[in-house]
Amino acid sequence: MTSVGIRIEKGPPTAAPPRRASWHLRANAIVVGWLALTVVVALAGEALPAPRWLLIHVFLLGAVSTAILIWSEHFTVALLRARTPEPRWSLTRLAVLNAGTVAVLAGVAVGPWPVAAVGAGAVVGVVLWHAAVLVMLVRRALPGRFGHVIGWYVAAAGALAAGGTLGGLLAAHVGHGAAHERLHAAHAEVNLLGWVGLTVLGTLFTLWPTVLRTRMPEGTRKASRAGLRLAAPGLAVAVAGLLADLRWVAAAGLAAYAAGALAAAAPLAEAVRARRPHTGAAWTLGAAIVWFEVALAVDLVVVATRPPGEVAAALEPLIPLVLVGFVAQVLLGSLLHLLPAVLGGGPARFKENAALLERGWAVRLAALNAGVVLLALRVPAPLLLLGWALVAASVAAFVILAVAALVRSRALAVPRDGAAEPGDGGPGRTAGRPALAGVAAGCVLTAAAVVVAATGGSGPATTVTATGSRTVEVTLSGMSIRPAVIEAPAGTVLTLRVTNADAQRHDLRLATGERTPMLAAGQSATLTLAPLGETVEGWCTVAGHRAAGMTMRIVPAGALARSTDGPMDAAAPGTGHTGHSAEDGDARAASPDPAAAAPVRLDLAAPFSPGWKPYDATLEPAPGGAEHAVEIRVDDSVVREVAPGVRQRVWTFDGTVPGPVLRGKIGDVFTVTFVNGGTMSHGIDFHAGANAPDGVMRTIAPGERLTYRFRAEHAGAWLYHCSTMPMTQHIAGGMYGAVVIDPPDLARADREFLLVQGELHLGEPGGDAQVAKIREGRPDGWMFNGTAAGYDHAPLKARAGERVRIWAVAAGPSSGTALHVVGAPFDTVYKEGAYLLRAGDPGGAQVLDLAPAQGGFAELVFPEPGTYPVVDHTMRQAEGGAHGLFEVSAP
Amino acid sequence: MTWWAVVRFAHVLSAALWVGGQLTVSLVVLPLARRLLDEQRRAQVMRAVGRRFGVFTGAVFLPVQLGTGVALAWRKGVTWESLGDPGYGRILAAKLALFCAVMVAAGLHGWATGAGRPALARAMAVTALVGSVGVVLLATALPAT
Repeated sequence: MTSVGIRIEKGPPTAAPPRRASWHLRANAIVVGWLALTVVVALAGEALPAPRWLLIHVFLLGAVSTAILIWSEHFTVALLRARTPEPRWSLTRLAVLNAGTVAVLAGVAVGPWPVAAVGAGAVVGVVLWHAAVLVMLVRRALPGRFGHVIGWYVAAAGALAAGGTLGGLLAAHVGHGAAHERLHAAHAEVNLLGWVGLTVLGTLFTLWPTVLRTRMPEGTRKASRAGLRLAAPGLAVAVAGLLADLRWVAAAGLAAYAAGALAAAAPLAEAVRARRPHTGAAWTLGAAIVWFEVALAVDLVVVATRPPGEVAAALEPLIPLVLVGFVAQVLLGSLLHLLPAVLGGGPARFKENAALLERGWAVRLAALNAGVVLLALRVPAPLLLLGWALVAASVAAFVILAVAALVRSRALAVPRDGAAEPGDGGPGRTAGRPALAGVAAGCVLTAAAVVVAATGGSGPATTVTATGSRTVEVTLSGMSIRPAVIEAPAGTVLTLRVTNADAQRHDLRLATGERTPMLAAGQSATLTLAPLGETVEGWCTVAGHRAAGMTMRIVPAGALARSTDGPMDAAAPGTGHTGHSAEDGDARAASPDPAAAAPVRLDLAAPFSPGWKPYDATLEPAPGGAEHAVEIRVDDSVVREVAPGVRQRVWTFDGTVPGPVLRGKIGDVFTVTFVNGGTMSHGIDFHAGANAPDGVMRTIAPGERLTYRFRAEHAGAWLYHCSTMPMTQHIAGGMYGAVVIDPPDLARADREFLLVQGELHLGEPGGDAQVAKIREGRPDGWMFNGTAAGYDHAPLKARAGERVRIWAVAAGPSSGTALHVVGAPFDTVYKEGAYLLRAGDPGGAQVLDLAPAQGGFAELVFPEPGTYPVVDHTMRQAEGGAHGLFEVSAP
Repeated sequence: MTWWAVVRFAHVLSAALWVGGQLTVSLVVLPLARRLLDEQRRAQVMRAVGRRFGVFTGAVFLPVQLGTGVALAWRKGVTWESLGDPGYGRILAAKLALFCAVMVAAGLHGWATGAGRPALARAMAVTALVGSVGVVLLATALPAT
C-alpha cells in the first residue's frame, strides 16, 4: 500500500500534487491495507492462532487507531487553522504506532509476551506524544469556534494511553481469574468508549453537518463542552470502578459518560432536523451513531447488573455490534465522505471519485446492517455465517472501490509523455477497468481452487475406521490443559468432556477443527472427534494462553514410543495415568514426555494416578535391642510417580525413594547386607558410621553383595547414599535414605515425621538431558520423600495441642533446605548433633536450615485446627514441589 | 542428485519462465511502452511481444510442463482415483484445474487480441497472470513427502 505513496513522491515535481494531499493519500492507504487484512483475518478465521482476538485487534488497533491518529491531527490543524506539524514527525508517529501494533499482534498471537508488552508500550508512547502535539497546536492557535473539539481528541488519546497500558498488563498475564476478567473489561471499555467513542463524538460536531451539507447548529459549542465534562471523567470513574471491583461506581461512571454522549448528540439531532441525510456517507454515519447508542445502553445495563468480574464475558455478544455496527460504519462513512476530498484532482475528479466510492451504497448499507442484526441476535450457525458474509462482502466492496479510486488517482498523478490522453472517459477508465476485472477473475479462480484443495484436508482421519469409543475428561485450569497428552489406539472415536475449572474463560480448539465455545468458570462442553488417525494438537484460543502453555496432544497408541527414543518409554511402556478417563481402559492420559526436547512444566495441582500411595512420612520409634541386621537391595529399574501424573524410572535402595529408614540409639551396631540387584554398579555410604571408605563403600557389580557394619557413635539425622561415581547422578536418581540416631535425652513426642528432601530431575536417570540439568543445577522440581507436592495431595495428619517432631535430611545432591511450617513456629531445633533451641527457651525458630547432607529435627505444637503448609522456604523450591500440608484436627 | 532432480528442475524452471515472463511484461514492459512509445508503435511492439510469448508457450512451456508434470506424477504414484483424495491428491487436482483455466484465459487473450477486443484481451491477460500465481501457490501447498 505504501508503495503507492512513494511513487507519488518520485513523480516529476512539476506535476506533484499538494503536499498535504499526498501525505494523507499515503496514510490512508495504510488504513485501507489494515481493512483488507481485517477481511483476510475474518476469512482465515480458525486457521489462525487466537482468531477472535486477532480479528478485533487487526481492525481496532490496526485500521481504526491509524485512522484516528491521522484524522484527529488533520482535523485539529484544519479546525484551528494552525500550521501543519512537521510531516516527518507525523509520519514517525504513524510508523511507531504501526510497528507497535505489529509487535502486539505478533507477541500475543505467537509470543513471546514481552514483544507484545513492548508493542503496547510503543502504542501508549505514541498516543501520549500525539496528545502533546494536539495540546501544543491549541496553545499556539488563535482562539476560534472549533477549539472545543480538540479537548475530545486529547481525552481520547488519554483513554488509549490507559487502555494500552491495561492491554500490556493483560498480555503479560498480570492478574488471574476474576482480576484478569476485570482488567479485560476495563481495557475494552476505555478503548472503545474512550479512544474510539470520544474521538468519534468530537469529530461528528463538525463532520456531521458537513456530510449533511448544512450549517453547524447553534449551541454546538456549549453541548460539546458540557458533554466532554461529563463523558471523560465518567469514563475514568467507570474504569476505576471496574478495576476496583466496585459495581455501582462503575455503573455511575458509565451513566455519566452516557449522559455526556447524549448531550453531545443533541446538536447532531438538530442538524438532521435541518437537513435529511441524502448521501451514502450520511446514512452510514447515522446508522453508526444509532448502533453506538444501542451498544451504550446495553453496556450500561450489563455493568449495572453484573459484578465487574463477569462484565467482560457478558459484553462478548456486543462485540460484533460495536465493531461492525458502530466502529466499522463510522470508518466507512467517514472515508466515503473524506476520500474524494483527499484524492483531490479538481471538482470533476472529486465528483467522479465520490460517485465511484458511493456506487451501490444503499445495497451495501442494507447488507452491512442486516449482517449486524444477525450477528447481534446470536442466531443459529448458518444464519450467523450469512451475517458475517453480508458484513464481509460490504466491507470488501468498499475496499475494492477505495483501492480503485486510489489507483486511479495515482495513475493521474503520474503524467505521461507521448501518450495522448483520450478525451472520452480518461485513461484511468480504459486502462484500469479490464485489468481490475482480470485481477478479480484470477482471484476468484484461485480462491475456488484453494477451496477445492483445502476441503477434507484433515486427510487420513477419514480413512481410519472406527474401532471403539472412549470418553476422556479434560480440565482447563491454571494455564494448562489436563491431561496434556491423551493416548488412544488408532481408530478410537474420542469424546472429550471439557470443563473450565479456572476463574477466567478458556476454550479448547483442536487442529482438526473441533472447538468448544468460550467456557466461563465451571462450564463444560463436549467434543466428539473423528476416528483417531494422526497426532492432533489442541490449545486454548484466548490470546496468549497457547504461548503460556495451554496446549495438549492426542496421540495414537504407540506413536508416543515411536516418536521419541526416550528410554523412559522403554522403561515404562504403560507410562501415564488414567486419572481422567472415567470408564475407559485404553484411552490413556500420559504424562508429558520428559525425554522430549520441549521443556516440561510440572503441573503440581494435577491429580495423581489412581492407586498412587505417598511414602509414609511417619517415623516409627527405634526397635529395641542394640544390634540391627538389615538387608538393603538396589533396584534401579523401578518406575515411580515423582510428581502428579509424572512417572519415571528411578534408582532406589529397596524400591523406594528415600530408601528404608534405619533408627536406633547411640552405641547401636548396624549390620547391613548390601545387595546390588540392579543393572549397573552401585555402592553405599552411611554417614552415621565411622569406617575407612575403601572397603565398605566400594562399588560392587550387579549381582554382588557386601556387608557394611557400623556402630552409631553419635546422635543425629544422618544421610546415606550411593557411593558410586558420579555421585550427583546416583543421588539425583533417588539413591539416598536416612539413619536416625536418637539423642540420649530425647523427650517424648506425640507424633514423629521424617522428611527427606531431594531434587527432581525429569528424564531417564543417567540420560544426557537429565545429566545436563544435574550438572547445571537446574532441577525440574524438589521432592519431600521422593514425590513433588505429594503431601499436598495426601496431607500429613496431626491434632491441635500435640507435640509434633519433624526430622529432616537434605539429600541434595546440590541444594539444601530451609524447612518451615506456616503458622506454627518451632520451639525446639536440633541440627547436626546439637540443640540450637529447646522447648522452654524464651526464643523460637522459624526455619530448620540444612545444607546438602545435613540433618536434624524441629518440634512444634499446632495451636488450633487448620491446614498448615510445610515448605522449604527457599520459595523457588517450595513452588517447585518441596511443599506439603499438615491437616490438623481438633484435639 | 538423481535424474528426477533434473526433471523437477525443468518443471520449476519452465514455470518460473512463464510466470516470470508474464509478470515482466505486465509490470515492466507494458508501463514503459505506454510511457515511451506512441500508440501505433506501442501496439506493434506489444503484438510482437505477445506473439513471441505465445510461441514460447506453445513450443517450449506447454510440452516441458506437461511432460515433466506427468512424469513426476507417475513417479509419485498418482492415479486418477487418488486425485479425489483429500490432501495431496485434491490439491494436485485443484492445481491442474486452475492451470487449465489459466491456459483457457491465455488462449482467450490471444484470440481477443487478434479479434480487436483490447478490453477483453487485457482482462484475460491479467486473469491468466493472477491465476498462474495461484498455481504457484497451490504448488507450494503440495505436501513435500
